[in-house]
Amino acid sequence: MRKYTIGLVSVVLLLSLLLSACGGAADDDTFKIGLVTDVGRVNDRSFNQSAWEGVEAAAEALDMPTDIRYIETMDATDYEDNIRQFIQEGYDVIVTVGFALGDVTIRMAQENPDIKFIGVDQFQGEVVPNVAGLIFYEDRAGYLAGVLAANLTESGTIAGVFGTDLVPPVVAFKEGYEAGARAVNPNINIISTYHPGDIGQAFTDPEWGAATAAQAIDQGADVIFGAGGVTGNGALEETATREGLYCIGVDSDQWHTVPGARPCLVSSAMKLITPAVSDLIQMAAAGTFPGGNYFGDAGLAPFHDFAPQIPQALQDELVSIREGLESGAISTGYGQ
Amino acid sequence: MYTWQKVTKFLSRGSVIFTFLLFLLAVIVDQTDMGTVPLRVFVGVSALNFTLRAAVPLMLGAMSGILCERSGIINIGIEGMMLAGAFGAFAVKVQTNAMPLGLSLFLSTLTALLLGGLMAYIHALLSIRYKVDQIIGGTVIIMLAAGLSSYFFNPNWMSVGKFGTIEIPLLSSIPVLGRVLFSNGLITYIALLLVIFLHVMLFHSRWGLRTRAVGEHPRAADTVGINVNRVRYVNTVLGGMVAGLAGAFLVLEAVGQFKEGMTAGRGFIALAAMIFGNWTPVGAFGASILFGYTQALQNELLLAGIVDIPRHFISMLPYVVTIVVVAGIVGRTRPPAAIGKVYESE
Amino acid sequence: MEESTTTEESLFKTAWQTLQIPLLAVLTAFLTGAVVMLLSGDNPLVAYWGLLQGALGDLGALSRTLRRATPFIFTGLSVAFAFKAGLFNIGASGQFMIGTICSVAVGINFEGLPGIIHLPLALLAGILGGALWGAIAGWLKVWRGAHEVITTIMLNYVASLFAAWTVFAGGTGGQRPGPLSDPVAAARAISETRHVYDSARIPRILPGILDRVHWGIIIALLVALLIWWLLQKTTWGFEIRTAGKNPHAADYAGMRVGRTIVLSMAVAGGLAGLAGAVETLGLNYKFAPEFTGGAGFEGITIAMLGQLHPLGVVISSFLMGALDAGAAKMQFDSGVSREIIQVVQALVLAFVAAPSIIRSLYRLPEKGKGRVRRLGWG
Repeated sequence: MRKYTIGLVSVVLLLSLLLSACGGAADDDTFKIGLVTDVGRVNDRSFNQSAWEGVEAAAEALDMPTDIRYIETMDATDYEDNIRQFIQEGYDVIVTVGFALGDVTIRMAQENPDIKFIGVDQFQGEVVPNVAGLIFYEDRAGYLAGVLAANLTESGTIAGVFGTDLVPPVVAFKEGYEAGARAVNPNINIISTYHPGDIGQAFTDPEWGAATAAQAIDQGADVIFGAGGVTGNGALEETATREGLYCIGVDSDQWHTVPGARPCLVSSAMKLITPAVSDLIQMAAAGTFPGGNYFGDAGLAPFHDFAPQIPQALQDELVSIREGLESGAISTGYGQ
Repeated sequence: MYTWQKVTKFLSRGSVIFTFLLFLLAVIVDQTDMGTVPLRVFVGVSALNFTLRAAVPLMLGAMSGILCERSGIINIGIEGMMLAGAFGAFAVKVQTNAMPLGLSLFLSTLTALLLGGLMAYIHALLSIRYKVDQIIGGTVIIMLAAGLSSYFFNPNWMSVGKFGTIEIPLLSSIPVLGRVLFSNGLITYIALLLVIFLHVMLFHSRWGLRTRAVGEHPRAADTVGINVNRVRYVNTVLGGMVAGLAGAFLVLEAVGQFKEGMTAGRGFIALAAMIFGNWTPVGAFGASILFGYTQALQNELLLAGIVDIPRHFISMLPYVVTIVVVAGIVGRTRPPAAIGKVYESE
Repeated sequence: MEESTTTEESLFKTAWQTLQIPLLAVLTAFLTGAVVMLLSGDNPLVAYWGLLQGALGDLGALSRTLRRATPFIFTGLSVAFAFKAGLFNIGASGQFMIGTICSVAVGINFEGLPGIIHLPLALLAGILGGALWGAIAGWLKVWRGAHEVITTIMLNYVASLFAAWTVFAGGTGGQRPGPLSDPVAAARAISETRHVYDSARIPRILPGILDRVHWGIIIALLVALLIWWLLQKTTWGFEIRTAGKNPHAADYAGMRVGRTIVLSMAVAGGLAGLAGAVETLGLNYKFAPEFTGGAGFEGITIAMLGQLHPLGVVISSFLMGALDAGAAKMQFDSGVSREIIQVVQALVLAFVAAPSIIRSLYRLPEKGKGRVRRLGWG
């Protein structure tokens, strides 16, 4: 019997060999775009995914044959190897996602001046012509979320459930959120916390996010800002199971990415990675690639079903605050 | 030796007493003006709710461990069985989104039990039939569950609906207690009842006697006609199903979605709870509450923002407490005598 | 002295008998992995071809494999050494983290120290840190009977939180930054250390030819030799092996079992700590929380696959290193998710730990007792 099993397996393996077409090598005139994720999967419903969707959007928009691939990073020591993989295969644009890849990206870019690098969340201290550091004013998006939250709360207590303070964008969201809420009501009670675990768990522990949101609700919070990958999504979905509460999502318009949160999701503090990555890739294809820092759009997502509940005065105020933030008339106080 | 057992017994009762004291204090704080901020941090309703919620997967995991280990099979693979259960529950929940919620939840929970049981069956096969060291067997289960669930997980899957809160009439209107104990989801109630049921069964039933006999003196059990390895198979698979239920709790009652690695070490803390509870269900329950409470407290302290020490040290609390209770206070706990040893009838 | 008369033929036979289980276990794991891939519609041959290409296809791939194998040799030795003493060291990843922190603390300080002093000092710090972390678990076992599996699991969590704190940028609320955090990075809320000074870096081997392969691999091979000598040729090694096989007999024979346990855990911890130090001083040059002690967990599989023998550990490390090194190329070429590698690794561990599965699968004669000893809670 076992002999047959082994025989069967070998036959199946051989068949699959015959059936498998040789992976056709891409022509030299195809525009090749590669993406290296931060530690995590490409479809993480968070920034890795947003960046990948940007690559896909660019491939769609470009009027030339393209080849797009990604490599998922399993261990931080692999960043350089994964980037080199794309360099070796002759890729034209390499997108690296996350601040942690900043150093490596710059080093690789200096070694390979003909390849364009897009570093998501990577602040550029000095301009390297073939690196665009895609960065966002997360603190401004957080500030707007804070203003919104402080206006919506009836209990006077608002909460934030955050990923980890080991990652700069999360810190920026939190600081902005608290500054915005205090700007509306200096005496507002803000209860917020970061995930207690290490960086490997901080964004992938939805039950902690949910339980912490419940804890904050028990303490009287009626607006919950969930910012931290799947952990934050857990907080949103938990809030959605209670009556009469609001929640605010993060990164993308979570009305689309977390449908389970719709009963409470009034808006999201967005950093629009997808269109910015797509734009930068198209600029690279057109030969107008900008080195240095490139600021992506950050702001509030549409209110969707909650639009009727938001007074027009508040909606107008949010628009003018956003203008104030952009002109520098209003400061979030973060990073100064 | 005898005094140590006494101390251990006292302590595992102690954690149960601790649970009751916690509730008592909470009622007082909630009902009087004593509820100033520091006191609420320690015994507020929010802390107790978090405690129970964090404790449910721990107590289910610990029950899983007790079922296996009382019959002589070491189970450090609880984490893997939990994860397999969580993944199974989620996969089926997604496929049955269109069905009525009750049926869909029932099928998903069933799958969680089956997958948890399947992982445990592999563990039992490795341990009993193939005589693999049981700690290594458990490591295999953890790695296998993590690898397979990530490989097959499709992040575009989205489940709709989860176990809602069931308010128990009358009881749920008791101050504090009602809000904490009698206003929960179905799996939480099952977990609480399972603790009592298992405790009674283990110490006051024929099955319990056989299980303990197999775990303590397999040779003697064999001579009186008990099929040692069959008891071990059955108990291990049952244990796996209970761990699978913990996974179902995470996906179907607590979160509603799945994420790779979402058990986040809960299986390991459950293991510690089992040892702290000296392999008794009620003791392990007390330990789970204690560990859940350290997590709640850590969160409360951070939310209240009243402590000035770096949060990393607060975050170490549950792990340090575990080391202290497993090593320092409890001293020599006594595992079942025949644990980890292969039994071959002559 | 009778062994010296063995003919070459039977030497070959002995070698085959030692190697057949690990080899067949690896083969079976790959076949099972292929079945899993077929079940989910992936093509295993394309995947495995990509894996091979990525592991050994060219000099860059070979360098990658060598680099990945380096920490594995240390952590594999760590687990194997503890196992010889009857201890299960699940805590290699925590000891790795502490070793990393300690070596980096020396590496970013003492500017101007000559390399001949600075580098050994940094390596020594890593060893001592890991050894201390390992010894805690050993000491708790001797003093309180706390099982090392539980304590080392918990110490892993504590180590990773502690390591994260040392480089913590301060985040919000004006908390004090961790002692090792780099103020320049901290200003941008990035938690990491400065780069270690050049004098504390492990030099590279053949920089133009092999990509970033450093002398750490040679250190690893020498340490493997040292561990073999320690276990087989010294009295202390004999005490360790006796305590591992039968602690009661060792006790009866007047050996200090308690001391042996603590020291064995210290050596195991030191090896894992050295893994962290070598990885940091040879490759990363800095520490940030995203560098984890993952190599510690793979040490378990490597030790078992290597049948607890230092030479076996070295060979297994190269195999596991190759698996990890080829995974990126595999995903690149075939689109197969690299999680499948984790499944294959789990299967390798399962099959190598259960020789009777392999024997019955390939109709090999059953041998008396398995090589793997049983541990247990007691």
